[in-house]
Amino acid sequence: MTGAGRPLFGEQTRFMLLLITPAALLLTLFQVVPIAIGANASFRDWALYNPKKTWVGLHHYEAVLSDPEFLWVVLPNTFIFMILSVAGALVLGLALALLLNRPFAGQKIVQTVLLVPLMVAPVIAAIMMRWMFNDQFGIVNAVLEGLGLDGQPWLVERWTAFGVIVMTDIWLWTPWYTLLLLAGLQSLPREPFEAAAIDGTSTWRVFTHLTLPMLRSVIVVCVVIRAIDAFRTFDIVWTLTGGGPGRSTELFSLYAYVLAFLTLDFGRGSAAAIIGGLIILVVGAVLYRVVDRIARV
Amino acid sequence: MMTSTTKFMASIVLSKLNKHYGSLHHAVKDVDLTIADKEFVALVGPSGCGKSTTLRMIAGLEDISSGEIRIGDRVVNNLPPRDRDVAMVFQNYALYQHMSVYDNLAFGLRNKKVPESEIKAAIDRAAEMLGLHELLKRRPRQLSGGQQQRVALGRCIVRNPLVFLFDEPLSNLDAKLRAQMRIEIKRLHSQMPTTSVFVTHDQVEAMTLGDRVVIMRDGEVQQAGTPLSVYGHPVNRFVAGFIGAPAMNFLDVTIRKEGDTRVAQSAAVKLAINEASARALEAWQGRPVIMGLRPEHLALGSDGPVSRSFPAKVEVVEQLGSEILLETRVGDARVTVARVPPETQVAAGDQVRLSVQPGRLHFFDPKTETAIVA
Repeated sequence: MTGAGRPLFGEQTRFMLLLITPAALLLTLFQVVPIAIGANASFRDWALYNPKKTWVGLHHYEAVLSDPEFLWVVLPNTFIFMILSVAGALVLGLALALLLNRPFAGQKIVQTVLLVPLMVAPVIAAIMMRWMFNDQFGIVNAVLEGLGLDGQPWLVERWTAFGVIVMTDIWLWTPWYTLLLLAGLQSLPREPFEAAAIDGTSTWRVFTHLTLPMLRSVIVVCVVIRAIDAFRTFDIVWTLTGGGPGRSTELFSLYAYVLAFLTLDFGRGSAAAIIGGLIILVVGAVLYRVVDRIARV
Repeated sequence: MMTSTTKFMASIVLSKLNKHYGSLHHAVKDVDLTIADKEFVALVGPSGCGKSTTLRMIAGLEDISSGEIRIGDRVVNNLPPRDRDVAMVFQNYALYQHMSVYDNLAFGLRNKKVPESEIKAAIDRAAEMLGLHELLKRRPRQLSGGQQQRVALGRCIVRNPLVFLFDEPLSNLDAKLRAQMRIEIKRLHSQMPTTSVFVTHDQVEAMTLGDRVVIMRDGEVQQAGTPLSVYGHPVNRFVAGFIGAPAMNFLDVTIRKEGDTRVAQSAAVKLAINEASARALEAWQGRPVIMGLRPEHLALGSDGPVSRSFPAKVEVVEQLGSEILLETRVGDARVTVARVPPETQVAAGDQVRLSVQPGRLHFFDPKTETAIVA
């Protein structure tokens, strides 16, 4: 290690440490410390009505992992939601990006209109959707009945409610994909596409053999970011269904929230949150590799 | 699909070809050009002269504002690039970076659903010609610039198109590699003669590669001819200055009669004009003209009569080993002298005499800059 009398770091290193200190402090205060407190809580019997904080070891973890609700409803819901939402918004976003990448009249206006969902707060979007899909006053049922079809109790049945949640999330996030993929498309070199045009390549082959592989890195980053984000979705589900009917549309963050802040069992809630954190850590790493490999072909 | 008979005749005819970008920029102006079957034509000119735009119009990558392009016996104005049966080499190679060299070469043929066995045979032939065999499994980014450009050439060869189009293919290579690839392209053309259009801003490339050289400026064709004819008989001052390296020297002189002979005279120079030139300059008697002297036609010293030489002051001496380049001052003009024997004892500041054969003099109209005597 460093010799006696020599300063621990060189002058330049000390200056760099000084520069990152504020950020490091903020991170520690608002990220590391809460996680540590949460982790601590997850090993203790900690509830508002029971302030003794008795050490119970892995008891909460066992309880969560053996909760059939968590294993057979919440986890499957979370992953189905993640896959459908990420894939749906990716496909739609890519389609729109391809459309916007070729010039047409009114392109700028279309581009701006498409971005509107990005500017809407998810909670507001969810409220909008809840009204639209309300089984008595909603416009969706009104239109259906106008067409002579039967209105559906959208938010009262598990899979229709789940469908509305997924649809809302796709609607919210498609423009985000469009924006990033369009930027990716526009940064691609022109010449390979010209070479392909001269080589007599069909539009579909250009898409599968040039556009997709060349956009690979952008797509991978988008999917990984969004997948992790989707795993943590809370607001739209809470607003749309509150996890109902029953607990059938509960996602992972709702599960943890309900435990910690509705049943006020901080210990159990923290354990659930940490389990989720570990799951998404693994899922994220695996996803990154898998998507990268798929896109490489 | 092309029939085999049309493959034999792949002339390119450009007639009254125009390209406008918006209302302000007229990139290509009334270009008329006929490129014979199997001919290698080099389009050369400074950047922005419209040569690349012309090429891209032939390829179908740019719309034609007006005029007509024929390839073989078809008007191709409204055909998409893929139906024109042309192949193109780009300045930055335009290889498909995520595919192996083999897949790059195969791509165009796979588009046409050619059986894999035929593709392999075609690639083998092209790889043989270009020495690509060891590279077939690699990705383009693992190759050097010269190798990448050879792959790009190979991609064109395997398709066996009617026409090869080259868009400054050597510009991204270093000088040594450029000379090598020049030879390679020349060899390729003699091995598989195909109608070719080669765009470059480098007159050396144009001169060495082209059966014919087409010099463009500001969207207009200035002159089209064999390398020897555009060098020996430039039609205007621009062509004279553009073709040849180092560039031609220009001096402002006045044509005077002195006894029986005509002379081109300025404050610093008095050179006799030969009879053929004198006849052409009849009308310019007593009027100023621009005289052009190629650096390689000037010689140091005055062996012949005084009327064939003029004094100059050496300003810079560039020893190249094989020759010396001299930068001299003649009156208030700069005059470059090339091909001075390398052993010559000459230093900056020396007063020398430069001599020139009367038949080597070029004369240009000072207003229109067109050649009076080329």
